[in-house]
Amino acid sequence: MTGRQAPLLSVRDLKVVFPTPIGMVHAVDGVSFDLEAGQSMGIVGESGSGKTVTAKTLMNLLPSYALVDGSVNFDGRDLRALAAERKTEKHLWGVEISMVFQDPMTSLNPVKKVGEQIAESVRYHLGQTRTAARRQAGDLLEQVGIPEPGRRLDEYPHQLSGGLRQRVVIAAALACEPRILIADEPTTSLDVTVQKHILDLLDDLRTARGMAMILVTHDLGVVKGRTDEVMVMYAGRTMEEASTEAVFSQQGHPYTEALIETIPKINSASHTRLVPIPGQPPVTTSPPTGCPFADRCRYATDLCVAQGPPLTALGNGHHVACHTPVRTPAAETALAANAARGHTATGLEIHQSGVPIGAVTGGLGEQT
Amino acid sequence: MAGRGTIQLRSGEDIILRVENLVQEFPVGRDRVVHAVSDVSFDLRKGETLGIVGESGCGKSTTARAIVQLPPPTSGRVVLDPSSENEIDLTRLSGHDLRNARPRLQMIFQDPISSLNPRRRVKDIVSEGLEIWSDGDIGTEGRERVEEVLHAVGIDPVVAASHRPHQFSGGQCQRISIARALTVNPEILICDEPVSALDVSVQAKILNLLEDMKARYELSLVFISHDLSVVRNVSDRVVVMYLGKICEVGGADRLYDAPAHPYTRALLASAPEPAQSVGVADAVLGDDLPSPTDPPSGCRFRTRCPLAIDRCATEEPLMQEIDEDHFVACHLPST
Repeated sequence: MTGRQAPLLSVRDLKVVFPTPIGMVHAVDGVSFDLEAGQSMGIVGESGSGKTVTAKTLMNLLPSYALVDGSVNFDGRDLRALAAERKTEKHLWGVEISMVFQDPMTSLNPVKKVGEQIAESVRYHLGQTRTAARRQAGDLLEQVGIPEPGRRLDEYPHQLSGGLRQRVVIAAALACEPRILIADEPTTSLDVTVQKHILDLLDDLRTARGMAMILVTHDLGVVKGRTDEVMVMYAGRTMEEASTEAVFSQQGHPYTEALIETIPKINSASHTRLVPIPGQPPVTTSPPTGCPFADRCRYATDLCVAQGPPLTALGNGHHVACHTPVRTPAAETALAANAARGHTATGLEIHQSGVPIGAVTGGLGEQT
Repeated sequence: MAGRGTIQLRSGEDIILRVENLVQEFPVGRDRVVHAVSDVSFDLRKGETLGIVGESGCGKSTTARAIVQLPPPTSGRVVLDPSSENEIDLTRLSGHDLRNARPRLQMIFQDPISSLNPRRRVKDIVSEGLEIWSDGDIGTEGRERVEEVLHAVGIDPVVAASHRPHQFSGGQCQRISIARALTVNPEILICDEPVSALDVSVQAKILNLLEDMKARYELSLVFISHDLSVVRNVSDRVVVMYLGKICEVGGADRLYDAPAHPYTRALLASAPEPAQSVGVADAVLGDDLPSPTDPPSGCRFRTRCPLAIDRCATEEPLMQEIDEDHFVACHLPST
């Protein structure tokens, strides 16, 4: 959140609620962020954190029964008002903001040639002729690194490998020269070797076109060293927002700290004991009044239970929603107090060393 | 290997499973054959975790299934207790004898929800293995065993008696799958991508649980995953597979710290957080795996290999020992 000139995209206090038979599911619960032109941002979170729902809100892809509140501003236009009108702005989604989905097999039409699928959006949105659209589709396939683009135009998705299919999806998303590309888990169904190629490709295209990008992923490793900023989400809320480098080197939120700790490291010796995050995420039908992570946090104090922490600035564009940010005196005091009495304010038992007991014993009695 | 050879096989009393020259081929019509696994050999020591890693289509899951004879391999041997006098070659068994050997090997699958019958109560699912072996009534001892195993994996036996799989989360369902595998007191647990469908915070719990269960029930593990970090974390020894062949075998730390096969190096360099032992220059693989119906001649990796020379197309590399307990099948290994 650098607030110099007006950002390209500005989201304020976004809330999305889904009415379901088990109650109102608060999928996104007050998320705000800005995205500058040409900037890249990662949204990281586990399943149920609200990252995909946030992305779908930006793309106007939520089902009609979703209850949305808050504002989404794109280049001076109120996207939520436009979404309500629908017809007038058919050339916005898919043109200026476009999206790449996780599974390239289901996001492509299996009975249409890939060339037609790319040309389709150019013809519909930009009104190009059939031949011009086909030529452009060929150019796009070449730009996304597909060998022999001329031949591939007339192939069907099943004739391509997973990596090539995802390249086709990217080509289709880029066809109308979007200003923001949203990539929702673009590499999750792909092998590591292919994953690297696709992420590198997205990076190159973003730089070449001056496009802004939102990379939604559950894998911290995917955003590391790649995006400018990272927003960490948990239970529908923003826990931390900072430059990507700061998230890894001086993360402020205990959840981010726990998430980084819990991942097996490729450079750690085999049989290094992993540090799990104790407990489980809160039920989204009844979001807690306090911090949603308090139940699983070793720093939790009475204040964390009573009152949800607002997103506060730590300086250098680093924002954290925590009463006791990691590496601050507040956190040290809280941890020392919790270690001394053997449990946190939420009753999570912890060792003298400050490590949650569930994290050490792992299996026994611990529920996932 | 992306090559051949059995030099990586060890001898000794404590080898519990030996897979020799395993071949698994599937006919796909018009005389075409998918060469899913081609001449793969490895062994498993008692108490050891053997990790098998590779991209999709490299044959790692097919290998796991061939070990438990689901389906039996096209050729090759899968031997239990190879160094004892009463060794058992699973590929030669059928019917009653094969059934008798099955409790010694159990399997855990990737998707914990679809691998549990949604219509049955969890305790019945976990007890089923024992029921098969005791004509229906598992007796007091069996019931105690089920309760003990459920408790060990962190599932409340009382809840398990009345609840069905959909009432549990993905992580809990994977715990149930582990309990189901453990009730029949297996010696070898084959885990096929057991944490790939789970969130990272749950993944750590399941991996720790597997380590605990391995110690508690004296298990030996075959652990299959595409995730290089996970494989290093759980494994004592690692096998790297490519297109139905073995590229490299070695102790987990040794193999990650000094990878010798260009494919292993490329894999390690492509990881989101690359290994320290390799550089950016090693991440050179193109997108496409060649077709397993028509694999390349010589070394199967040569079409994507940055080092390939003419010899690689004509001569399949033999597995060679380049360091103590570190084997590689390559004409040009890095040392």
